[in-house]
Amino acid sequence: MGRYILRRAVQAVGTLLLVMLLLHLLTTVAIQLNGNPAQAFFGDKVATAAQIAAVEERFGLDDPCYDQVGNPCLGPFVERLGQYAQGDFGTNLRGREVSDIVATAAPNTLRLFCVVLVTWLALGMLLGSLAARRRGSAGDHGIRLTSVLIDAFPVFVLLIVYRYVVAVPLHGWAERTFGEDSWPPYWFKPSFDADHPWATVLVPGILLGLAGSAAFIRLVRASQLESYQGDHVRTARSKGLGERHVVVHHVVRNSSVPVVTAVGLTFAEALGGAVITEGLMNIYGMGGVLWEAVRNDDVGLVLGVVTLLAAVTVVVMILVDIAYALLDPRIRYE
Amino acid sequence: MSAASRMRSAAEGEGRGTRHSPGAERSEGEPKAQPLLEVTDLVVEFRTSDGVVRAVDGLSYRVEAGRTLAIVGESGSGKSVSSLAVMGLLPPTARVTRGSAQLAGTDLLALRPRQHRAYRGERVAMVFQDALAALNPVHTVGYQLTEALRARRGLSRADARTRAIELLDLVKVPNAKARVKEYPHQFSGGMRQRVMIASALAMDPEVLIADEPTTALDVTVQAQVLHLLAEIQAERRMGLVLITHDLGVVAGVADDVTVMYAGSAVEQAPVGPIYAAPAHPYTRALLRSIPSTAGADRGTRRRLPVIPGRPPSPAARPSGCPFHPRCDVAQDLCRTAVPPLTSPAPARLSACHFAADVLANRPPRAAERRDDRPQAAETPTTPPFDEQVPGGDHE
Repeated sequence: MGRYILRRAVQAVGTLLLVMLLLHLLTTVAIQLNGNPAQAFFGDKVATAAQIAAVEERFGLDDPCYDQVGNPCLGPFVERLGQYAQGDFGTNLRGREVSDIVATAAPNTLRLFCVVLVTWLALGMLLGSLAARRRGSAGDHGIRLTSVLIDAFPVFVLLIVYRYVVAVPLHGWAERTFGEDSWPPYWFKPSFDADHPWATVLVPGILLGLAGSAAFIRLVRASQLESYQGDHVRTARSKGLGERHVVVHHVVRNSSVPVVTAVGLTFAEALGGAVITEGLMNIYGMGGVLWEAVRNDDVGLVLGVVTLLAAVTVVVMILVDIAYALLDPRIRYE
Repeated sequence: MSAASRMRSAAEGEGRGTRHSPGAERSEGEPKAQPLLEVTDLVVEFRTSDGVVRAVDGLSYRVEAGRTLAIVGESGSGKSVSSLAVMGLLPPTARVTRGSAQLAGTDLLALRPRQHRAYRGERVAMVFQDALAALNPVHTVGYQLTEALRARRGLSRADARTRAIELLDLVKVPNAKARVKEYPHQFSGGMRQRVMIASALAMDPEVLIADEPTTALDVTVQAQVLHLLAEIQAERRMGLVLITHDLGVVAGVADDVTVMYAGSAVEQAPVGPIYAAPAHPYTRALLRSIPSTAGADRGTRRRLPVIPGRPPSPAARPSGCPFHPRCDVAQDLCRTAVPPLTSPAPARLSACHFAADVLANRPPRAAERRDDRPQAAETPTTPPFDEQVPGGDHE
């Protein structure tokens, strides 16, 4: 088990370095082909050579390799790795620390993710198990139809409908019924409120989780169906065990590996991928930060944020691998 | 156990030594025992896209305490389905439409699912074919051996562990103390099948149904596992139903044989006589297709006879006798009339119009002479196809 974790950890570090190198090469090529991003600092103003040189120095763009197309610019890369090692992830164009920006934005994204995950797991496990248990019944068909319907209904439509049609009247009603300082008005507030991050993230998170649960329901159903048909389930029944015991210890337990995989994948996706939800609901999160950074040609911010996201993803993948090993002894003793 | 049954077991011990010699009529002198499990006229139907299909069609058999019944048949003959029906483990598409399975006075098939569950494992247990698939890969062997004891009899964790080690010792898994903590994939095929058997024995069932317990194993391991089963069965005086497609397996351990074809029994008899003189052309063909070294010894190597054709699909069963398209002695009558199970000799049952002729190993007489009731004394004293009696060669 220890060796298994160690091996996974070494693999993870390698993956992370590879991701950073790839990211570096891509941005280098972009700079080399598109021209000096230091220009972006000045917007429409025309800057003097001295001013540009000052900006280049400040953002580490003064290395001559950035002018030579095809040069991998490994010097600045190693330099940046050294800075990362010291916890320095650089600044954005306005001079604000990347780590500071992430520290403000990431918690909101994490809050959103928590709500999404809970909704998603609860709905997926419940409906997926139910559908698998009563395969072929009206309930099974109903659940599958619902999941396809949810899938066919894009999340931004769901959110727009919620925000403009449902949230405003609900918010007003909650304010009138429960008073302005109580919790319910915040639940239905159509936009994010930094003072009440949990309350205002709740409903958007549930909606996003609902949208994501559709595929998850089908995944849970499929993997449990496979377990139900397994010989070991018949063996368990042949011992006269009760249906509940069989389902919990032999069906759900055995189909947990694909479920954990899905959770890991979603986490990685949700970190950067909740752009639409964050944008529509005005949640200041990682998705929004990254979106703005790309739009503003803020190379430093993009590099810092993507590197952090990659690191988090790699850590999650290690956790998923460890979870596999805990859940399936065949992996543990490979 | 009464004195009478102990006496019977002694008689059986004698029987065991002689059972393979052709013509040994050991069953004749025995007292008629109360059957432990008696299946009567069992019919199991599957709902399929092509309509309702009968997988088991009027099967009857009985198992007595301390005896082994082998149910032999090709795949698709309904042998596994019939035992799943007895266990109440049929897939949702299958249904028992007729028949009963009396276990010590209770008809299992008439029970409600919840009541039937109480009998499973506790009174009648089952050993499945492929132990790698039949054991749960994510739980330890110890857990699986005793999970029913813990869930149903409330055994403590420590007691369960002791019991699990006992069970592994019982099935002769070496180093049981350490191995209870291991997972099924860490066991070899034979050891895994032993674990499977141990898990079926956990609650001391009266009847054990073993569904092709040795099919997935090496030949040498097969013999070990079969001997283990026979030993445990004799020791605990269990009724053992051994389902197999291999008549060679039957010879060593069974007391009685039921040969199944297309969902019903075509021949039922004690093991010795059936090997000596089969009373159904199908049994005869099965016995002939067992490889034997007898011919090779005498330098007269012969082609191994095979049964032509394939077993019929339950969806398209032939008219008349289901075996007639593949039968080497089929007559006109066989194409039209379904043969009932008749008794061509004492303790013998055969579903063949010409059972008496087959038993005597002579060509079937014309259909009009069929009314002649076979004589009880017709049991032959010499094996009809001497070179191919497998019992004599194998052991």
